[in-house]
Amino acid sequence: MTTPPPTPGGAPPWARWLRRPPRWLRVSRFERNIAIALVIGTVVPLVGALWLAAGLAEQDLTLGLSPRVVSRLEAVPGVYGELFQARKQLYALQAREVARGLPSDRDGARRHLERAVSRTPGLRRAAVLQAGGALLASAEARGPGPEGGWRPAAAHVKLPGGAVLECTFAVEARLFAELDETRTLAEQSRELDRLRDAIQRSYVLSYGTLLAVLSLLAAAAGIWFARRTTRRVDALVAAVRKLAGGDLSVQVQLTARDRLAGDEISALAAAFNEMVREVRESRGRIVYLEKISGWQEIARRLAHEIKNPLTPIQLAFQELEARWKRSPGDASFGPLLAEAGEIVREEVGTLQRLVADFSAFAKLPEAAPEPADLGDFVEDFVRTNPQLAEQAEVEVVRTGPCPTAVDRVLMRRVLANLAANAVEASRPARARIHLGVARTRSRVLLTVSDEGPGIDAEMRERIFDPYFTTKTDGTGLGLAIVKKIVLQHGGDIEAGARPGGGATFCISLPLAEAAAPGAGEET
Amino acid sequence: MTPARPPGRLALAATLAALCAAPAARAEAGPIPVALARRDGHVVAAVDLTAVLPGELPSRLGNGLRNVVALYVAVVPIGGEEPTAAFVRVFDVLFDVWEETWTVTVRDPRTPGGRRHVLRSVDALRALLARVDEADLGPAGSLPPSRFTVDVRIDVNPISPELLAATREYLAGAAGGRGASRSVLGAVAGFLLREPEEREQSLVFRSRPLSPDAVPPR
Repeated sequence: MTTPPPTPGGAPPWARWLRRPPRWLRVSRFERNIAIALVIGTVVPLVGALWLAAGLAEQDLTLGLSPRVVSRLEAVPGVYGELFQARKQLYALQAREVARGLPSDRDGARRHLERAVSRTPGLRRAAVLQAGGALLASAEARGPGPEGGWRPAAAHVKLPGGAVLECTFAVEARLFAELDETRTLAEQSRELDRLRDAIQRSYVLSYGTLLAVLSLLAAAAGIWFARRTTRRVDALVAAVRKLAGGDLSVQVQLTARDRLAGDEISALAAAFNEMVREVRESRGRIVYLEKISGWQEIARRLAHEIKNPLTPIQLAFQELEARWKRSPGDASFGPLLAEAGEIVREEVGTLQRLVADFSAFAKLPEAAPEPADLGDFVEDFVRTNPQLAEQAEVEVVRTGPCPTAVDRVLMRRVLANLAANAVEASRPARARIHLGVARTRSRVLLTVSDEGPGIDAEMRERIFDPYFTTKTDGTGLGLAIVKKIVLQHGGDIEAGARPGGGATFCISLPLAEAAAPGAGEET
Repeated sequence: MTPARPPGRLALAATLAALCAAPAARAEAGPIPVALARRDGHVVAAVDLTAVLPGELPSRLGNGLRNVVALYVAVVPIGGEEPTAAFVRVFDVLFDVWEETWTVTVRDPRTPGGRRHVLRSVDALRALLARVDEADLGPAGSLPPSRFTVDVRIDVNPISPELLAATREYLAGAAGGRGASRSVLGAVAGFLLREPEEREQSLVFRSRPLSPDAVPPR
């Protein structure tokens, strides 16, 4: 006998087959629930019908309403009557037998009666009464009567001379008891028989009523069981209708029991909620990116329009200054020209920086994310920015691997802008910047916090709008660029308050697909 | 199940109600002799069924079982169906197969507790069943103003409320405690048990049409 070779999994094939049957044999929880509801609705009345039928059969046997039985039972008292008649005739014969040869004298009669009592079965007493009723002689049985008691039955024989022989026989009391019992039973059967049709009707009604009640209970139980599933389907349908109506805030409420059920409907509801959330976020992202694109176009044109006259202004002033240097005239003109030149150069410089910012914002490239660990990336950024360490104290906290995908150039710009904001917000104090990296089930999170004055709650939504700034020399493009880059990465950014004081920017990016739960699982 | 118990006042009232609810029956024979009289503001009737009582009825009652004979005397207006006055007498008959006697207990509104008779012959039983004297039909005002008949109906072993109640109890307990299912079925069957409408063992006799004026004071 050979043992089959073990499978790679260690378990025999049949065990693996049982654990993971073919797809066509797998029963989903939804299918199971519907099947259970159907089974309840069909099997319970069927079992109830069998139960009632068994009861009906038992009662039929118990009642024994056979017309022949009833008829025979009714005839039983008549049979007893015939039996009693026979007994009476027997007693009369026996009394006549006792009378035969009965002496007329007292002693002879007594002895005769004693012998008769002792030899005649059932005879308990024999007495001779004279014509006037006086007792001439008598004899009584000495032994016990019939077992179970007896009733006296008298038989009389007329004797010559007007005397009478009175014989008292013992009739078994059990006969009368049996007669009474049989009569009671016969009366019951007769009355049931008279109500036969009504009883039959009432049993049919009873059977039907109980079966109907059972069916209703089974239907109610089936509906209750099915409704546990369909109720959630109804909620899902209602949510889909709201979504179709444009309500992106709709969510299907999942109770703890729904989550425990863990069936397809719960999974569908959870997927629906996730889908609605993503649609809502995508729409916000698209709206923001469209707005940014509009602003970028404005910035591009503005930069172009500003840049064009700047160069001639600068060149013209340089020429003017050169001429003055070659042929100095008015002594007072020199300082005035120098002062004006300083102002023009400074303002032109400001305009050029503004144009540069506008151009940079307008020409912001598309992100090309590459796989990276966000914690490593943040630490690289801090390490390769020594000027940041000069301006602030930087602390990095990370909690394990956070795989994601980033465009290193653009994401460095994000960190640089946020760090610059933190430095500026903390002035004149030295800034303390906290960089935190963590992950959730499907996202990686980067928080940039400072200990500055923080951001007012009502301004947190607007600070990402282009050209919105609270600084006197800001362009209001830094955070807009940050948000656009983050959105290009499929992420999101929110401004908030740091516990203990200060502002916090929380960036969430998608977890790398290979690391996300369910990645690679069969669906 | 116990045999039909002797009717008390309530049972008599129920029987009267049953009589009123019974459908009109066809008379078994020709007019029966009925004598009506007024006494103390009441109408009393004397009915003689000797000529019309079926010959086999008394002997049928000698089967050794307890039999109940209900006799109803009612005043029914001609053309109407509802009795306006009625009298009920119930005979409880038991033939003793040892003693060969009929023990008859007669109950009516005057003797709700019953009068016991021990009869030694069928003829005596027949006479007791056939003669109804001093049947109090109720106040004289209950007589219809127009012509009427006096109807007599005899029900042998009628289905009484007591019998129905006893049968219901018997059905509910027929399971004998060997299973809850049977007792539930029996209890529901007992609850749904109703008196059958048809009366198989009813005999109906009718007097000739009478006028209220023909009821003399006694």
